[in-house]
Amino acid sequence: MSAQDKVEINKLPTGVPGLDDIMGGGLPEFSFNIIAGAPGSGKTTLAHQFVFANATPERPALYFTVLGESALKMLRYQQQYTFFDPAKLPESIRFINLSHVVLEKDLGAVLEEITKEVEKTNAAVVVVDSFRSMVRKPYSDMDLQSFIQRLALFLASWQATTFLIGEYAEDELRENPIFTVADGLFWLRQTAERNSVVRKLQIIKLRGQASVPGLHTFRITNAGVQAFSRTFGLTARVKNLVGQRRLSFGVPDLDRMLDGGVREGDSILVAGPSGTGKSVLAAQFIAEGIKGGEAGIIAVFEERPQAYAERAAGLGLDLETPQNDGKLTILYLRPLDLSVDETMHSILDAVQKIDARRLVIDSLAGFEMALSPGFRADFRESLYRMIFALTGIGVTILSTVEVDESFTEFPFSTYSISFLCDDIIRLRYVSIDDQLRKVMAVIKMRGGNHAKDIREYEITSKGVVIVDQRLTGYQGLISGLPVRSNRSPREVWSSNDSETKKQT
Amino acid sequence: MNMAPLPETRDLAQRLLSYEAKGGNASESVGSSTLRVYEKMRQSLGELAGTAGFQALAFRALTLARSEVPILRAVEVTADGSLNGMSAIEPPTNVERDRIHEGGVILISRLLGLLLILLGEALTMNLVRDMWPDAAHDHFNSENGRKT
Repeated sequence: MSAQDKVEINKLPTGVPGLDDIMGGGLPEFSFNIIAGAPGSGKTTLAHQFVFANATPERPALYFTVLGESALKMLRYQQQYTFFDPAKLPESIRFINLSHVVLEKDLGAVLEEITKEVEKTNAAVVVVDSFRSMVRKPYSDMDLQSFIQRLALFLASWQATTFLIGEYAEDELRENPIFTVADGLFWLRQTAERNSVVRKLQIIKLRGQASVPGLHTFRITNAGVQAFSRTFGLTARVKNLVGQRRLSFGVPDLDRMLDGGVREGDSILVAGPSGTGKSVLAAQFIAEGIKGGEAGIIAVFEERPQAYAERAAGLGLDLETPQNDGKLTILYLRPLDLSVDETMHSILDAVQKIDARRLVIDSLAGFEMALSPGFRADFRESLYRMIFALTGIGVTILSTVEVDESFTEFPFSTYSISFLCDDIIRLRYVSIDDQLRKVMAVIKMRGGNHAKDIREYEITSKGVVIVDQRLTGYQGLISGLPVRSNRSPREVWSSNDSETKKQT
Repeated sequence: MNMAPLPETRDLAQRLLSYEAKGGNASESVGSSTLRVYEKMRQSLGELAGTAGFQALAFRALTLARSEVPILRAVEVTADGSLNGMSAIEPPTNVERDRIHEGGVILISRLLGLLLILLGEALTMNLVRDMWPDAAHDHFNSENGRKT
């Protein structure tokens, strides 16, 4: 059978931002789905968004309410969401209450009623909310599984896409025969962690197409449910051919240390203690990109964009003009109770909006601190996913991280995120001639031949400026407390180099 | 909460009753047009809110209407939401006839008023248009209950 002979499954928009990406493009048409979760987890809202996104006068949606929330109250509350379009009722979306049938009759009568209405209206979308309330009632003439089976067969034949909504605890999902009938099974959960509510969505099952596995954060706002894909919606995109071009930092000597600059699409970590110029270097990296026509994003967590730009101006870097020209966005992210995925989606949106090629995250410590405690456990994993996704489309990311200054160790970061980075530049203080001076070294450059030098630099009105070809004549530079050496420069260099390797 | 219906709501109720009265015959009782309007609402809202949902709504509307038109004390909402006793009121005089008509207007106004409170104007008017597709309901204060 050739690819042409295969049936093409049409994918319907869910009406839920982010969910189509998670589903692998949308909801399969004519599928029979179950939305399960605890009360208040957003099941009804999600179903409403789907209904409003797909119902038309020619192919309307039928929304059957059973026992549970009153339809009048449901409409009263749901119309507060921005997706709710009153003009669609009742021509395109019809609400039908089946409580009396459920209470007074049996499942056969419920099936008959649904069948009658679907035939009458030629409905394209059918929702039963909540079908769990039917499960709780004992039936004699038709068991529930048979009812679900017949309902699924009927609705598929009538080319209807269906949602059954049910309140289920997580342990009830296992080996429940009702769920074997469903083509799609969506699980919504919410848990309180310290002072934050964490909402997660999981597609446990989706026949016919590959969905993104795992738990995805979602949020309910006045726009309804918004989902945040774990892959940030970038998995299906073609990876750009990157890695050839070298990007300049705008610091010529540093570029030379990096064998011509960092490779496009790399993830760079600039690590160092407070005051060593991590943010300055980051701003220079962005400014240099803008100079070459590459838009940039700076995500800041510890100071406001205006203050950040003013501080950069003091170093001769104009971040105001590119902001006005749409070439630079400085994102100030203090999300409080936002999840790490939502925060990263904000960064991603900004990147896509101005087609940014360079991104600075200043700093990882500030980023983590801005998250609510309940989400911090996901920080490293989400950061990994975001870096992977963005570098995959050719964005070059520079992250800064503050490390505790130690005069006996040379740590790259306290976050154990070195594995996320292709390149690591380490800044540190050293005590030389009764002065606290600054040195930098390129610790790692994946696939590149970087310089092994330890170079002294200063922060001037022109930003980071490397002032010395190589600090020779010292031993133990990376300890922060070097001593003058009587050895030749080559001998000293070899000593420093082997010391660096030992620490890594 | 027990405020009189808005003039616009009352006007809409009046138009619906007039619309239904035109469809009836002269020998019908005074309450017949009220019953026809009410029955259409019962069918439509019963589908939306369920029998119990509509019954609760109608009982509240009748309670509010009774305080304005005491003659409605003879009327009751049954368990299936239908209206009982409206057609049984036989007015001996024109004054009584007007009061029964007024009772119908108030009862329907109250029902519409509850829908407006619960669902808002946009949804309520959509439902009314769905129940009376041939009537013009572009505005609350439309003077013509039937399309011209």
